[in-house]
Amino acid sequence: MASLALFVAIKAMPEDPIALKFGKHPDPQLIVQERERLGLDRPWLSQYLSFNKQFVSGDWGESLLTGRASLEDVGLFFPATIELGLLALAVGCFAGASIALYARISETRVSKTIALSLGNVGLTVPIFWIGLLLLVLGALWLGWFPAGGRFDLMLVPPKAITGLLLLDSLIAGDAASFSAALRHLVLPSCCLAVFPAASVSSVLYARLGEPSIEALYVSLKARGYGNARIVFSHLLRVASAPVITVIGTTFGALLGGAFLTETVFSWPGIGRYLVSAIIERDVFIARNVLMMLILLVFVVAFLSDILAQWMDPFESEKEEET
Amino acid sequence: MALGGCSSSTDEQTSSDVFIFARGSDSQKLDPADVDDGESVNAVAQIFEGLVRFKSGTLEIEPALAESYSISEDGLTYRFKLRDGVAFHDGMPLNGETALFSFQRQMDESHPGHLKVASFSYWKYLYQDIVSVEAIGPMELEFKLAKPNASLLSSLAVFPAFLVSPQALDTYGDAMQRNPVGTGPFRFVDWRPNEAIVLERNDDYWGVKPAMQRLIIKVVPDNTVRVLQLKSGDIHAMDGLPPAELPSLLSDDAIDVYQEAGLNVGYLAFNLDSPRMENRDIREAIALAIDRDKLAEVALSGAGRAAHYPVPKGFPGYPEVEQPIPLDLAKARQLIEPHLHLFDTPLEILVMNAPRIYFPEPLTIATFIQGQLKEIGLPVRVVSSDFKAQLHALRNGEFEAGLIGWVGDNGDADNFLSVFFASWAAEKGSATNYSFYRNEEMDRLLLAGRAATSLDQRANVYSQVLEKWRQDLPILPLVHSDDLFAMNSDYEGFEIQKIGELRLAGIRLKSDNARESVDQ
Repeated sequence: MASLALFVAIKAMPEDPIALKFGKHPDPQLIVQERERLGLDRPWLSQYLSFNKQFVSGDWGESLLTGRASLEDVGLFFPATIELGLLALAVGCFAGASIALYARISETRVSKTIALSLGNVGLTVPIFWIGLLLLVLGALWLGWFPAGGRFDLMLVPPKAITGLLLLDSLIAGDAASFSAALRHLVLPSCCLAVFPAASVSSVLYARLGEPSIEALYVSLKARGYGNARIVFSHLLRVASAPVITVIGTTFGALLGGAFLTETVFSWPGIGRYLVSAIIERDVFIARNVLMMLILLVFVVAFLSDILAQWMDPFESEKEEET
Repeated sequence: MALGGCSSSTDEQTSSDVFIFARGSDSQKLDPADVDDGESVNAVAQIFEGLVRFKSGTLEIEPALAESYSISEDGLTYRFKLRDGVAFHDGMPLNGETALFSFQRQMDESHPGHLKVASFSYWKYLYQDIVSVEAIGPMELEFKLAKPNASLLSSLAVFPAFLVSPQALDTYGDAMQRNPVGTGPFRFVDWRPNEAIVLERNDDYWGVKPAMQRLIIKVVPDNTVRVLQLKSGDIHAMDGLPPAELPSLLSDDAIDVYQEAGLNVGYLAFNLDSPRMENRDIREAIALAIDRDKLAEVALSGAGRAAHYPVPKGFPGYPEVEQPIPLDLAKARQLIEPHLHLFDTPLEILVMNAPRIYFPEPLTIATFIQGQLKEIGLPVRVVSSDFKAQLHALRNGEFEAGLIGWVGDNGDADNFLSVFFASWAAEKGSATNYSFYRNEEMDRLLLAGRAATSLDQRANVYSQVLEKWRQDLPILPLVHSDDLFAMNSDYEGFEIQKIGELRLAGIRLKSDNARESVDQ
C-alpha cells in the first residue's frame, strides 16, 4: 500500500526530475539519453514493479546528482541519525521519567510546576530554536562543546563496523575518538531529547496520578517500603506500559525533529539527506529512503505496542496486592 | 558534564596550518567536466587548473598550465605550449598526451573517459565550436574550430576545461568523479559527504605553494549557525552570507568582509507566449513602475545594485546611457489603463522560496514588486515554490511572469545574451530563454557577436543587441547582487574572482607574513 501511494505521489509531481538534473545548460538530447539510461521511458506499471523489486533486493540505484550509490549513502547517513536518535531517546526518557516521578513523590509545588511546564514547553517550542539556544550556550559562551559536526575533522575516524561512532570507537579501543564523538553528540542529542522528554514526562505524570496507582503507592508506603524501592520495583513497572506506547509513536516525530536538529548542528544524518533529495528532485533516493522510514516507523510502533501489552499492569497489579 | 576540558587540542580549534572554509551545502561531484553546482565548482577549483586562467580579480586571460598560446589569423586554430615540469597529483607528468585526455573524454562519446554516469552538459554549450583537439608535439596542443568564437579562450579558463589526470580513470573508474586528481595547489585527501572535504597542500606545486598545510571545506547548512561559527573561530572563512547579517559582520573587527560586484543578474521574465504578457505596453508599464534602486536597497541590504541592462556593467557594448528604463509612474499608468480590464484575475509572478546568488531574499523582491505594481492599479499574486518546481514552470512556459536570474560562466557577453534572447534557447522543456522570445534580427546579431573577433566589433554588435532588447523588452533586469565572502581578520591574501570561482590557495596568516619579512 505504502509503496503504491509513494510511487504515485512521486510520479504525480509535475516536474521532470531528469530535465531538472541539468542546471544551467539543459540540452534536449542529453535529457532524452538520461531518461533512457534510467529506464524512465518504460510504462508506469513496469517501473512500479521494478521499484518494488529493487527496493526489496537492495538495488537502490545511484543519486541523479552525485552519482553515488544511494544504499551506500544511506549506510553512511542512517547510522548517524540512529546514533543521535537513540541517545536522544535515552536522555529524553530518563529526564522525562525522573522529572515526572520526582514531582509525584516529592509532591512539592516547584517540582510539579517543572513537570507540567516541561510537557508544555517541550511540545510547543520549535526544536530549531532550542537548538540555536543550546549552540550559543554550550558552544559559544561556555565553549565546552563543538559548534556542530559529528566528528573531529583532524582525527581519523575508527573503522566503520556498526556505523555508530561511539560503538565503533569502543570496539577499536580508541579513547580519543570516543571522546570526540561523545563531545559532538552532547548538544544535538539534548536538543532532540526535549520532545521525548516532554511526552514521556507528561504521560508518566498523568499515569502516576491515576487512582489505582496512587492507591498502590500509598499501600506500599504504609508497609514501610522506601521511595527508591517503590519506584524501581513497582511503580515504573506498573506505569510504564503507556509510556512505551508513547515512545513508539514519538519515534516518527523524532525523525522529523532529526532533520531540524541535523541542520542546526551540521549533523550528516538521514534527515538532511532525505530533505535535500526531495528539494533537488533526486527522486530515486527520495522514494527508497521514504519507503524505508515508513516501514521503520511502522515496525517501531508495532513493536512498542506488543511490548506495552506484554507489560500490561493488570496481571501484575493483582500479584502486587496479594 | 565534565567533558569540557579533555582533548580540546584536537578539536576544530586549529593550528595555523589548517584553514577551514564553510559553505551551506556539499559538492555533488568533484569531476570538473561534469559539475554545474557552485559548491562543486568551488571545491574543484582548489584541486584542478586549466591551460589558461583569469588574472586574479580580472577577466583578462593569463597562461596557467600552458606557458604560452597563439591564435591563428582566421581565429580557427588555437595552439597551447604546455608548461614543463608539471605533474598531476598521482605523479603523471603533464604533456600533450595526458592533457588531451580531459578534452577527448568530453568530445568523443566512445572514449572510455566519457563516463555513462556523466552528462558533460557544458561541453555542448561553451565549447560547441571545437571540432578537434590534437597533441601536435610532446608538449603542444592544437584546437581546431568550425567557426571563430570570441569567447573560447575565456571558456578554456573555466572549470569544465580543467585538466584531470588520465590515470584517475584507470585507478578509480566511475569513482574518479569522487577522487579528483589534478595539478592544482591542493591535493585531495578525504571526502565525508555532507560533512567536509579535506585537502592538503601539494608540495610539488609548480606555482606559489599555499601557506596552509590543510584546507578543510566544511558544510554548515544553517546560515545563522555559519555566522556564529565564524565569530567563534570554529571556522576561518565562509560564503553564502545572508545580507541581513552584513551589518553585524561589517562592524566586527575580527572579521573581514570581501565584497565585489558579481557577474550576475536577477530579472523578471515575461512569458511572451502568454496572452497578457505578449502585449508590449503592459510589459513597458510594469518596467516603468518598478523603482529598481529602491528595490536593490530593500532586498539586497547594500550588497548589490539596481540592474539597468541584462548584462553587468563593463561588458563590451554596455551603453553610455545609464538609465534606459526610468521610473515613470505617470507614463506607466497611462500605458496600463486601457488593459486593466484584463486583470480581473491578478498577474501571477513566480518566485523561488530559497535564496539564490542573484536574489538573496527572493520573497522580499516579489512582495516589493507586488506593492509597486499596485500603485499603477495592477493586481499581482505572488506564487512561491521551491527552486526546482519554479525552474520546471519556467522552462516549460507554464507561467506569466517569473523572477529568475543568471550567473555568468565565463565572463562573456554572449553567455548572458544568447541565454536570454536566442531563439535556439527557447525550446520548451530545456529553455533558458524563459520569455520564449524569438526574433530573427536578434538571432542574427547574437551570431554576429560570436563571430566577431575584435573588441570594437563585438562592442558594436552587443550595443545593437541591447537596443533591440530595450525595444522588445522580453525581460526586465532588476538587480546585480554582490559576491560576498567573510574571513577571520587574522588571515589575508584572498581576492574575489570575477566569475565567482573561489581561490583559497593564497590565504595566509598575517603574522606568517610578518615573520617572513623579519627573516629577510
